[in-house]
Amino acid sequence: MPAGPPGADGARLAGRSLLRIGPVSLLIRRRAVLVAAVLTVLLLLAVVLSLSLGTPYVAPADVLRALSGAGTPYDLVVFDLRLPRVVLAAVAGAAFGVAGTLIQSVARNPLASPDVIGITQGAGLAATVALTSGMAAVLVAPTALVGGLLAAVLLFALGARHGLAAQRFVLAGVAVAFGFRALTEVVMLTADPIDGLRAQIWLIGTLAGKGWTEAAWIAGTLLVLLPVLAWAGWALNSTALDDDTARGVGLRPVARRIGLAGAGVLVAAMVTAQVGAVDFVALVAPQVARRLVRAERPPLVCAALLGALLLVLADLAGRRLFAPTQLPAGVLTAAIGGPYLIFLLLRGRRRSS
Amino acid sequence: MLSTRDLVAGYDERTVLDGLDLDLPTDAFTVIVGPNACGKSTLLRTMARLLTPRRGTVLLDGTAIRDLPTREVARRLGVLPQSPLVPEGVTVADLVGRGRQPYQRWWRQWSSEDGAAVDQAMALADVTDLADRPVDSLSGGQRQRVWIAMTLAQDTDALLLDEPTTFLDLAHQVEVLDLLHRLRSERGRTVVAVLHDLNQAARYADHLVAMRAGAVVAAGPPREILTADLVRDVFGLACVVVPCPVTGAPLVVPANTGGNAPAPAVAGDHSPSRASVPDARPSTGDAANPLAGSHPSKGL
Repeated sequence: MPAGPPGADGARLAGRSLLRIGPVSLLIRRRAVLVAAVLTVLLLLAVVLSLSLGTPYVAPADVLRALSGAGTPYDLVVFDLRLPRVVLAAVAGAAFGVAGTLIQSVARNPLASPDVIGITQGAGLAATVALTSGMAAVLVAPTALVGGLLAAVLLFALGARHGLAAQRFVLAGVAVAFGFRALTEVVMLTADPIDGLRAQIWLIGTLAGKGWTEAAWIAGTLLVLLPVLAWAGWALNSTALDDDTARGVGLRPVARRIGLAGAGVLVAAMVTAQVGAVDFVALVAPQVARRLVRAERPPLVCAALLGALLLVLADLAGRRLFAPTQLPAGVLTAAIGGPYLIFLLLRGRRRSS
Repeated sequence: MLSTRDLVAGYDERTVLDGLDLDLPTDAFTVIVGPNACGKSTLLRTMARLLTPRRGTVLLDGTAIRDLPTREVARRLGVLPQSPLVPEGVTVADLVGRGRQPYQRWWRQWSSEDGAAVDQAMALADVTDLADRPVDSLSGGQRQRVWIAMTLAQDTDALLLDEPTTFLDLAHQVEVLDLLHRLRSERGRTVVAVLHDLNQAARYADHLVAMRAGAVVAAGPPREILTADLVRDVFGLACVVVPCPVTGAPLVVPANTGGNAPAPAVAGDHSPSRASVPDARPSTGDAANPLAGSHPSKGL
């Protein structure tokens, strides 16, 4: 047979390189590596900046010295006051990026996020009940987690009949979201106004007064799910295929969707339970990362890094912009991410027209 | 190689196939024809394990297909569904590479065999020059060749295609059918396709399966089974069957002129058996041509 014309690996692998380690061979997008490197540098800069700004101001050099364990007068400010919150912002942002990527891919919809499919509302209802019924503060997050998981179970039950097909998945999610939101409003309106206000702030999402514990829960969830996420990075490639085509090449699309969506809602429920509804990050990070990498689907690692960067910046802006008044990070993520997404959409349209 | 035993399949409440037994020949180009909603696509989808039968079995080389792991099936049986969704922004080479899925794992995402198979598949389907183009920017005919290349990259002995020529213009239909014919004759693949066009079916098939209302009415070489009686039985259409002036394969010409061209030579003779037609009319080709012009064969 006529051997294929010089089918250079470049063409076959479509901008990806093969990384071989023993029996393992991974396809890595070259542009994703570049974007991830840039995002990592930016994230580190944002972390240092976030540790340095505030009252008192700590010079970046002193921040670095303190971090290196040299022992400075700023240790208390850097380690005990700021670092926990900054680390939480980075970890929660990364988790939102991961959750958004998984959920959007299964939903085949760039607008899907934990907020759209009801996970946030489930957690929100449970948290509102906890906050307005005088439950101990330490129990609010676990209760919210249960609420988020309950919403996830409902979502899967409603979406299951059609094998969690994209449209069905989103529709079921929207129904769940509306149901829980209505119930939340009922609870709010019947509650003591002060409790209602606390619940309101929780719903918007804030990192104030939170730190290591919350970060550990989120990071722990991501760590436990790491094998699943490693698989997901590969499995996400096929979510764009229709079910017949996917089955034709030996995939099990329904099982795959359940695995991907399951991991997505688990991460979403956990992170929302810990920091509240900062989930605009989950909407915007995957899409912005996808455009930066110029891939046909959101890239998992870059979306996580971008989510972390976004939330660290949003939290910093919330702390400093109107200091001493603090704005919840949830307000700022929308303010930062929204315009950038619009910019990318407009630019994308110009290029394609 | 592919058989069905007592196959019952359908969608929701509707039973489409009810106890179907069928054996498809190995190393042949089989074409399944029949009127709309006769169950030909359902049969193909069930044989390709895209649809789970309610009862009965699909046998692949004698083994029930439901007992085989789906990845294993995907290494032996390629499928091209009727209108696959083109993933946005994916390049031709990338999409063809998806055909290597049954040979890959998340920790073993690419091998040199994958590369060779993709190259060969793209060359065979003549899409090598398009390798870097996004699939959604291609014409219908090019796209269809890319999809076929994807199933070829699976490197299977058998290939099932559900209406691979629908939505293509005539030239591209012929191009796709020629490709399938080459796969059979030069590569020894077993090809099974659902087609709408009886004349193309007759021209390309080694083995023709005619279906009506979920049952097989006739199966065999087109020259043996494709008669005016069969077409009337299966499609409810009065026609004459004449030898194709180019290949000699049976050519189905609708007998109803539609009040258009009153070609008297054809109009007088309503139900000739295939064997009698060539003798009855000396200039078959000339008589058939004006009719074919006013009644595109796609209408069949």
